[in-house]
Amino acid sequence: MLFDLKEAKKEAKRKIESCTKIEDLDQVFKEYLGPKGKIRQISLSLKKLPLKKRAQVGKEINNFKEFFEKEIAQKREKLLERKEDLEKEWIDITLPSKKIFLGSLHPLTILKRKIEKIFQNLGFSLVEGPEIENEWYNFDALNIPKDHPARDLWDTFYLKGSKNLLRTHTSPVQVRFMEKNFPPFRIFSVGRVFRHEATDARHEINFYQVEGLMVDKGISVANFKGVMEEFFDRLFQKKIEKRLRPSFFPFTEPSFEVDIYCPVCKGEKDCKVCQGKKWIEVMGAGMVHPNVFKLSGLDPKEWQGFAFGMGLERLAMILFRIDDIRLFYSGNLKFLTQFK
Amino acid sequence: MIFSYNWLQSFFEKKLPEPEKLAEILNLHSFEVKEINKKNKDYLLNIDVLPNRGSDCFSHLGIAREISAILNKKLLGLEINFREDTQTKIKDFLSVKVQKTTDCLRYSARVLLNVKVEPSPLWLRSKLEACGIKPINNIVDIANFVMLETGQPLHVFDLDKISGSFPKRIFVKRAKKGEKILALDDQVYELNEKILTISDSKNALAIAGIKGGKKAEINQNTKNIFIESANFNSKLIRVASKLLDLKTDASLRFEHGLDPNLTSFALDRATFLIQKIAKGRVVEGMIDHYPKKILPKRISFNFQKAESIIGMKIAPETIIKIFNRLQFKIKSKSKVFLELEIPTFRRDINIEEDLVEEVVRLYGPNKIKPVFPLSAFSPPKENLESLWEEKVTNILKELRMHEVYNYSFVSENDKEIFKFKNLIEVQNPTSSEFKYLRPSLIPNLLKNVYLNQKYFSEIRIFELGKVFLEKEKKMLGGIILGEAFLEMKGVIDLLFEKLGLANLWYDSYEPKTNFQFWHPFRVAEVKIDNEKIGILGEILPKILKKIGIEKRVTAFEIDFEKLATLASEEFIYQPPSPYPAIIRDLSVLVPKKTLVEEVIQEIENEAGEALSDVDLFDIYESDELGEDKKSLTFRLIFQKRDAPISPEKVDECFKNIINRLQSHLDWEVRK
Repeated sequence: MLFDLKEAKKEAKRKIESCTKIEDLDQVFKEYLGPKGKIRQISLSLKKLPLKKRAQVGKEINNFKEFFEKEIAQKREKLLERKEDLEKEWIDITLPSKKIFLGSLHPLTILKRKIEKIFQNLGFSLVEGPEIENEWYNFDALNIPKDHPARDLWDTFYLKGSKNLLRTHTSPVQVRFMEKNFPPFRIFSVGRVFRHEATDARHEINFYQVEGLMVDKGISVANFKGVMEEFFDRLFQKKIEKRLRPSFFPFTEPSFEVDIYCPVCKGEKDCKVCQGKKWIEVMGAGMVHPNVFKLSGLDPKEWQGFAFGMGLERLAMILFRIDDIRLFYSGNLKFLTQFK
Repeated sequence: MIFSYNWLQSFFEKKLPEPEKLAEILNLHSFEVKEINKKNKDYLLNIDVLPNRGSDCFSHLGIAREISAILNKKLLGLEINFREDTQTKIKDFLSVKVQKTTDCLRYSARVLLNVKVEPSPLWLRSKLEACGIKPINNIVDIANFVMLETGQPLHVFDLDKISGSFPKRIFVKRAKKGEKILALDDQVYELNEKILTISDSKNALAIAGIKGGKKAEINQNTKNIFIESANFNSKLIRVASKLLDLKTDASLRFEHGLDPNLTSFALDRATFLIQKIAKGRVVEGMIDHYPKKILPKRISFNFQKAESIIGMKIAPETIIKIFNRLQFKIKSKSKVFLELEIPTFRRDINIEEDLVEEVVRLYGPNKIKPVFPLSAFSPPKENLESLWEEKVTNILKELRMHEVYNYSFVSENDKEIFKFKNLIEVQNPTSSEFKYLRPSLIPNLLKNVYLNQKYFSEIRIFELGKVFLEKEKKMLGGIILGEAFLEMKGVIDLLFEKLGLANLWYDSYEPKTNFQFWHPFRVAEVKIDNEKIGILGEILPKILKKIGIEKRVTAFEIDFEKLATLASEEFIYQPPSPYPAIIRDLSVLVPKKTLVEEVIQEIENEAGEALSDVDLFDIYESDELGEDKKSLTFRLIFQKRDAPISPEKVDECFKNIINRLQSHLDWEVRK
């Protein structure tokens, strides 16, 4: 008999079973199906057989090949995922993570974007103005007379060799805009301002202000409250308590100060945000003074509007619980890299 | 300003709310009460009087009037009850000449004879001390007491020390330039013609409205006095106080502009108290120079307009009650209008809007209901610059850089280290640290590196902010610690690519600017087409050394305004070519100082439009090649957008390129 299928299968299976390594298995494979393997030998000798016999043996050889390849594949699978081998690759999963460093945005940039989105959604357009200003836009046009104690509200940096100064607030942006545009309008501005004062945990010589202005027919204090309350609720993403107090700004009448109730504490003495005062002053505001309209070329009999201003750092300090304003300008990466 | 709770209580018959409660009421209707301190049996309120109310509320009477208006409590009058000695006439003792009425709107004075100067009684001393004023003697103390009470500064002179015979002659006049006065604080002040004085025929006796002089000082030997109660021009006092750098309780009040009708009242109140406490005879009559009497203003109030400003209707009866409580007299009344007479002590009330504010604050601003404005639908305008700001900062963050904000100032020291010229100087800097406006973002970014280098081995920071040269300009600056020219170049490449800016290239640096801090052999100009928009390079090692930075530093600074303008220009989409690309690599041996850009230019010029891209993917230097040589390997990608390209065509083109490169005598194409 040229080929005993049953016996061949048995023998092959035994050989395959006895392999313990991939290399052994490869050897077995070669022994049968390699160029000089048993099966090849038999196939070559088939030519000598009569046609009928040839077909029968050919069938059996195919049957064997199918069987053999399946067995080899199964054994290979087993040998490849040997537990002992994988175990050698054990790792300590409690080792510290590998640090991956990302870049970061400045906290004031993060807050500025938030505020810009809120005001844009409320229909306010973003406008900008120069940081070097003159007396006219910074004071006179805002109804702040020369040699008047009201000017003491703004300690000013003056520049040598010119009549210019560093703007003490973003309010000049209002005047510049009103000169060139006709109501109705809603604008806001976020920009750097400067104050000549000693720096401490609460004061900086440069800081950011957010300024807003809405002018139309019949705009009222109630309208201001509507917009202002919506703004703060969106900023803090919850309904927070606010209150108005009377105040004085030469460019608004009536004028107000806006306080919010400390969103962090319930009046604890050591609260980082309100120092136990509960109410935090966050905004100055009021109805645009008729003189400011006149000085910007608008008729105060026809138009009414509200304006407001707030300190960006103050809001950031509340939102991120930061207790020293100087950190913003420290360039300290231990501080900055906490913001993403 | 400090106010005594007990003193405020003395203006009322009825009990005031507890100090905490009173403070809260003032907060919501008048002024912020910053703190309350208990002292003995009193409470001291630190009240932040608003600048427009300094004219009436730098006084206990003023605050009491506020409380009376808010709580609707009746105010008690101040006692004034003294006898004049009809045997003596004031004109025999004193005459006053005011040189210019605009300098001194009113000058009132009284004379008292035979007063007894001694320490004040305890109640008087403790009231002054509570408010931060040092007691001196009964006469001076009473003058100060009446100032704290009514807001009118008074000054008392020793009549006998004034030069000349009776009647003593007093002049209210401008000082002569260079004139000197020895003041009560033992300082000598040099005066000039901008400063007003109270003088006798020889010397200045006082700097008007600011400080008294030694010459006519009250002391234990003083017998006869004259009390001055005047109203000086507020601007004049403010200017003089600034010139002399001398702020006093009197100047503070005068510069806020007082009611001229207050002088005689305060004068009589002081006269009464002096007669009561220091005895003395009051000479009959009062000097009262008051040529232009100030009358109450009349302002009309329109209910409709008020409603439109407030955005809520407040009942007319409520409004009228508020005005009554404020002592505003209603002269006439209709359904539409009120005609009001404003007492002269309310100098801050000038226009209708001021009246609206009074109504709102006494009614209570927190009772106004918020209402969204009804306005035409006008979508907000897009602000392109802010859009690009957001994009640029996001990209740099993705490139693992940290954003910083620095001061807009540089120091005197920075000016020297960086050899800056033509800086904009601050006239009144807070310190030499902040003396000039920053002409570049780089110096402060380097300071950030210096401060962080101890804690971080890797520092990658950037800032977007204004710099100040001939004019202010928004710049984008960045720094990587280390020799990182090519990495930083990659940062810029990516930034520009993400902004959709093609045609970025790097040109050799032309040192024609103000800035001398770049390493002259490791620096490039960043250009888009022919426009220079920034600089990239290493910072000079000697500058780093002076700042204290141990490693090298690579930096860039780009004109953000130009960048935003270029990025905003229309971006047109190019479809990718549907035809296959053919790739050829090419190595060329060149002298070390040959610019890569130069080789690429030659390749591109020869290849023409068939070549879609050239990448340098290897630079190789070795001893084998020779010391002055380097080998550059390029990958050339041939592809056309609109037609296929045959391998034969590419071979021909590639051959031409090789020939062109070979035509440079010191270049050698390696096979």
